[in-house]
Amino acid sequence: MLQTVAFVIVAGIAFGYSGFRFAKLFQLLKSMKGRTPKFGRVAERIVTATVDILGQRAVLRDPWIGVAHTMIFWGFLIITLGTLEQFAMTLNEGWTFEFIGQTAYSALIWSQDFFTAFVLYGILYAAYRRLVKRPKNLGQSQDANNILMFTGSLMVSIFLMNSFHVLGSDPWFKDSYFISKHLASVFGGLGFSTETNHGLYIFFKWLHMSLVLGFAMYIPGSKHLHILAAGPNTALKHLDVAKGMRTLNFADETLTQYGAAKITDLSWKDALDLYSCTECGRCEALCPAWNTEKPLSPKSIIIDMKKNLYANKDLILAGKADEVTSLIDARVTDDVIWACTSCRACEVACPVFIEHTDKIFDARRNLVMMESRFPVEVQPVFKNMETNGTPWAFSASERANWAEGLGIPTMAENPTIEVLLWVGCAGSYDERNKNVLKSFVNVLKRAEVKFAILGTEEQCTGDAARRIGNEYLFQSLAQTNVETLNRYAVKDIVTACPHCFNTLKNEYKDFGGTYNVMHHSEFMAKLVATGKLKPTQEVAKKITFHDSCYLGRWNNVYEEPRSVISAIPNVELVEMKQNRKDGMCCGAGGGRMWMEETIGRRVNVVRTEQALETGAPVIASSCPFCMTMLSDGVKTKDKVDSVRVLDIAELMDASTS
Amino acid sequence: MNLYVCIKRVPDTEMKVKLKADNSGVDLAGVKTILSPYDEFAVEEALRVKEKNAGSTVTAITAGPAEAIEVLRTALAMGCDNAIHIELADGSDSNMAAKAIAECLKKEAPADLIYFGKEAIDDGAAMVPQMVAARMGIPSVTIVTGIEYSGATIKCKREIEGGSSETVEVTLPTVIAASKGLNEPRYATLPNIMKAKKKEVKAIKASDLGVAASDQKVKLSNFQMPPPKAAGKKIEGDAAAQAKALVQLLHTEAKVV
Repeated sequence: MLQTVAFVIVAGIAFGYSGFRFAKLFQLLKSMKGRTPKFGRVAERIVTATVDILGQRAVLRDPWIGVAHTMIFWGFLIITLGTLEQFAMTLNEGWTFEFIGQTAYSALIWSQDFFTAFVLYGILYAAYRRLVKRPKNLGQSQDANNILMFTGSLMVSIFLMNSFHVLGSDPWFKDSYFISKHLASVFGGLGFSTETNHGLYIFFKWLHMSLVLGFAMYIPGSKHLHILAAGPNTALKHLDVAKGMRTLNFADETLTQYGAAKITDLSWKDALDLYSCTECGRCEALCPAWNTEKPLSPKSIIIDMKKNLYANKDLILAGKADEVTSLIDARVTDDVIWACTSCRACEVACPVFIEHTDKIFDARRNLVMMESRFPVEVQPVFKNMETNGTPWAFSASERANWAEGLGIPTMAENPTIEVLLWVGCAGSYDERNKNVLKSFVNVLKRAEVKFAILGTEEQCTGDAARRIGNEYLFQSLAQTNVETLNRYAVKDIVTACPHCFNTLKNEYKDFGGTYNVMHHSEFMAKLVATGKLKPTQEVAKKITFHDSCYLGRWNNVYEEPRSVISAIPNVELVEMKQNRKDGMCCGAGGGRMWMEETIGRRVNVVRTEQALETGAPVIASSCPFCMTMLSDGVKTKDKVDSVRVLDIAELMDASTS
Repeated sequence: MNLYVCIKRVPDTEMKVKLKADNSGVDLAGVKTILSPYDEFAVEEALRVKEKNAGSTVTAITAGPAEAIEVLRTALAMGCDNAIHIELADGSDSNMAAKAIAECLKKEAPADLIYFGKEAIDDGAAMVPQMVAARMGIPSVTIVTGIEYSGATIKCKREIEGGSSETVEVTLPTVIAASKGLNEPRYATLPNIMKAKKKEVKAIKASDLGVAASDQKVKLSNFQMPPPKAAGKKIEGDAAAQAKALVQLLHTEAKVV
């Protein structure tokens, strides 16, 4: 009776407190003003969430800690059953779970011992990793140490409780305590009386319950909040690999804030992302900005935005939205926001599906459109796009000059075509990339593909403008392009630029442009597979391939460019250490192509070094920006004489000539 | 303070120049137009002065055909408060533009500072700022790359021949012709772009300002494209021979030594 009263009081306080904190967190979530994304496809979500949560698929991508985490996760699920029974029986001794039958109950008891050991192993590995191995991106955290201490003590207290339960009460199911009964025989050697042993059982039971209740109070303020947030976050994740940026509706006159000036301008899903982060650092380990000493760490930006949210919590909950402090603060600085190449390695690596780029893009939108605050070298880029539809300082009337004498029809000449060749600004104006386009034209002609270009009617897709944060400029370019494409009833598009590819394919939908868009790697892979292209010439003995972020991580095209290279006779395709979804960005994405890089090492040089490590004399690229960055890298490393950077179209051209 | 910025709509710097069939001028059909880049420095400077002096207004003025309103919208988006469009026919000369602007300014609230770009990048005449100042009987400082403001007198740093600069002290009101280096013009924020679309532009006919056809002093005719650039010559041989050949060429072909 005394125990019951004590438990009601203690548990009431503990659950009351943590419940209050969780309610605040939930209110905070609801106060977010940013437009909430749509969540359809419920059945699909259930399946994928089951695999990702119960199956721990995403966590297991890092096998060692993945297994440890899976052990802890599953262990806690099962042990919670025992804890529930413990709570129930403390309230009323009759509320034992024995009603499930003797065999089932024995199994439950057995499982408690088994999973306690299971969890303990997991925790021991996690502690070893955090305290001894110390991977760089994990960092040091008192919160993490506290969590290990809490969870470790919980397991130890269960074993002690079970052992003295065996000694003090001699329960009928004692043999099911297949580990604790051995511990009990050890403690039996202490020679305590049955009463003392029973007392110790009560003591350790209370210790265990206190730890559980204490932990419940600790969780709302800890990164361990992920045990509640990460599940829903996983179920609500962006389901497709391909992802367009959120489209702003400028026609909506109630919309007066573009992008995020304050934390509350983000959406509640963004806040759930912040709650879900458990600071594992997988994002940071792959971030090209962080790995070249930029101030941006995808892990830190999430933690820092969470700090911003919490620091403003009282103001937000009191409805004093005006007084909420800026999203850009002492931790999340302008340099942090501009360092991102939007390569998306962080999002792809995140085991709880946090979408870092959404937040960075929203912050940029506010800086550019509301405050006109961005790296000064970007201004002429915007102006060039506005007046001439290209980031480069060239006239729109010169866009098709590269194609002079090649006999390519323009859509205005009304040709019958299978596919429209979207040239892109780099292919139109950049000397190096004009050659790539010419090679691709050779390949198309050789495969007898009927194609045309838009000529001077083509404009920049606006990719860089959008990713830098100038949504207004992007939309004006997108609308014009969609109008042009729809006027010619274009259905199939092929392009050698992954940025154009991504924008045309995933983002023009919102402006009435739905096309079947193929990257030239996909197109050439198909031409080879169907026998329309027959690569016969040797090009190089060894080739390494650099993944473009907007082809790979943003659109899941990893194998097609590789199959194009492998189709070339007698070539060995050697992979860099970081390849495919772990591939390192060249440094040009997210509009970084148009910004100076003044902090840390240069991303393109570091990536070039990784390519040079393979010893391949050819670095293959499938993106005009990667081409520029890697070519510069090869120049910086003084390897121009021994290493060439070639587009896969140039390789195919050489091999089929 | 009453601040005025006089601006001009010009063809984009990247345009491919083509002449009209009768060589009477440059063919501007289908050419993108922009706010003349030096005028951007002028707008930016006026806005910065306004931001430091509470209660100031910046009025943008342009003289030109109907399409010239575009640059007023650009100036408004950058942050100007008012805009005046003086309707003046295409092909009018600097004298007409200067007269129109000066007469317009005389009717507006007395100016403290009137900013111009040092020249428009289309005709590159670089005359209107000084002509306006003369008509208004106030000083003008041209090719200004830096200004120190202190009450009724300001110090202007201006570029002079030979890559050096001089500092001129001048009493307000004055005309300033801005050059590159004066500031970094801002990029308009979206709320300001939206607001600029709705702002009223005051329209005045040049004829109402007393501008007549007889004010046109200069008529341009018979435009010609520059001759195509000839291929370069490479001088071979050792250093002494190269020097000798170079001097020879400078003497006989270039006729500069």
